[in-house]
Amino acid sequence: MLLADFGTSYCKLLDTDLTEKPTLIATTAIDRTNMHVDIATGHNGKRYAKQYVNELTALARGGLSLIKERTFTLLDCGSRDIKYVRYDNGKIKDMGWNAECGASMGFTIELLEKYYELNFSDMPIPKSSFSITCGVLGMSHIFDAVVSGQSEAEAVAKFVKGIALNAYDFAKRPEKIYLSGGLCDNPLFVGSFPCSVVTLGRYVLLEGLRDSMRCNSA
Amino acid sequence: MSTTTKQRAGIVGVPPLAVMELLATPEFEIFDLDEPQGKIDIESESPFLPRVYCGVLRTVIANSIALQPDIIYIDTGPGKCDCAVHTAIVLEDILPNCAIVRTKNTDAVDFATPLCRTRMNLFEKMSAITASIQHPYSYKALPSCLPTAGFWGVPPRDFTILNLFPDTTHIYGWARCMENKTPDNIELEMHYNPDIPTVFFAQSFCAKTALARHLAAKHPYGLYLDCDVTAGNSAKAKIQAFLELSAT
Repeated sequence: MLLADFGTSYCKLLDTDLTEKPTLIATTAIDRTNMHVDIATGHNGKRYAKQYVNELTALARGGLSLIKERTFTLLDCGSRDIKYVRYDNGKIKDMGWNAECGASMGFTIELLEKYYELNFSDMPIPKSSFSITCGVLGMSHIFDAVVSGQSEAEAVAKFVKGIALNAYDFAKRPEKIYLSGGLCDNPLFVGSFPCSVVTLGRYVLLEGLRDSMRCNSA
Repeated sequence: MSTTTKQRAGIVGVPPLAVMELLATPEFEIFDLDEPQGKIDIESESPFLPRVYCGVLRTVIANSIALQPDIIYIDTGPGKCDCAVHTAIVLEDILPNCAIVRTKNTDAVDFATPLCRTRMNLFEKMSAITASIQHPYSYKALPSCLPTAGFWGVPPRDFTILNLFPDTTHIYGWARCMENKTPDNIELEMHYNPDIPTVFFAQSFCAKTALARHLAAKHPYGLYLDCDVTAGNSAKAKIQAFLELSAT
């Protein structure tokens, strides 16, 4: 069975009959005419799938499969949006999905790294941050800081920290966050959270689809 | 043979029963200005209210401009909100040929809430409740169903979110007060069923967002949700996921 998480920047595919390991491809590289999957999530998923699972459901189910605790907050930071689910003693307690003010966070961070030729894995976590409301509006802070003499790397690091703090606020400031999505691979972003962070990687939603598959066959 | 022209009466909120008894006569044609009336563009109110404002009251202004009622009964009492007090002032200034009558509905006679508790498509159920305020008569008895979900709050500006709920959803909050014809009954408004997953809804920028959020936090299986004029995909996905995940 072919499962897919069609993200804005990357598409994650898993053929459960062939391999345990998912494939990551750029969304722009998808064969839009011939792409057909069995179960999908992600904002482009309905176009290609027989069965569609909404992203919050996939995230929650993925979290339940991967996280041992019964009380947890799982935050997914994607290219264009952020979403979270909170479980309390095994029961869904709260959730949120911000595709507006959370817009373009991951996308903007990736774009800045390439544009300024930075390497987030060897950049120190800044002590302070910019006050960021979203990826797009936060860009002006970088330009202002560079004009006033800060290094590009320092300014971008403050921007990234601002985005992490914004995501933390959105998830209602938990003591510990399970983080999913491509930004798990960004140590500057992960280290900018003011709480304990456990990274789960970018395949949590696929794990949720695997759970949906099991529900279908049960 | 004489012909009579009906007076066009707009209502905002839930005017007192005495007013609705008057309007239920053949002399009046009633328009519920809180609800979208046909294809009236909500942006037509933009010169008169801020865009960041309650979607229901923006709808009131847009409807009033388009429909030009002869008279508007707007409840500005504790059963509505402060925004209605201010909207009444705006209406008075922009519709000089329309009589603006402010009411303070403190009716305390319970009419019962059969619709809120019966098995029915939630969209149709909420439509029936909002329509019921125009009829000052006792309700027909309806069988109650066992609830599997709850919707707490005001009738949303965008009813399409109601399509995501099961037919066995019970209605709570101010919408229940509406059916009971006691919009100023805070005890009834705060009532919820702690045993069923419940979405606590309020219009964005409405003062009731505080109560909705507070009660959702107290409820063991509560989800707070606010939407503006139309519900986006993320709001709909939240409802869908919450109901699905609460059932497992």
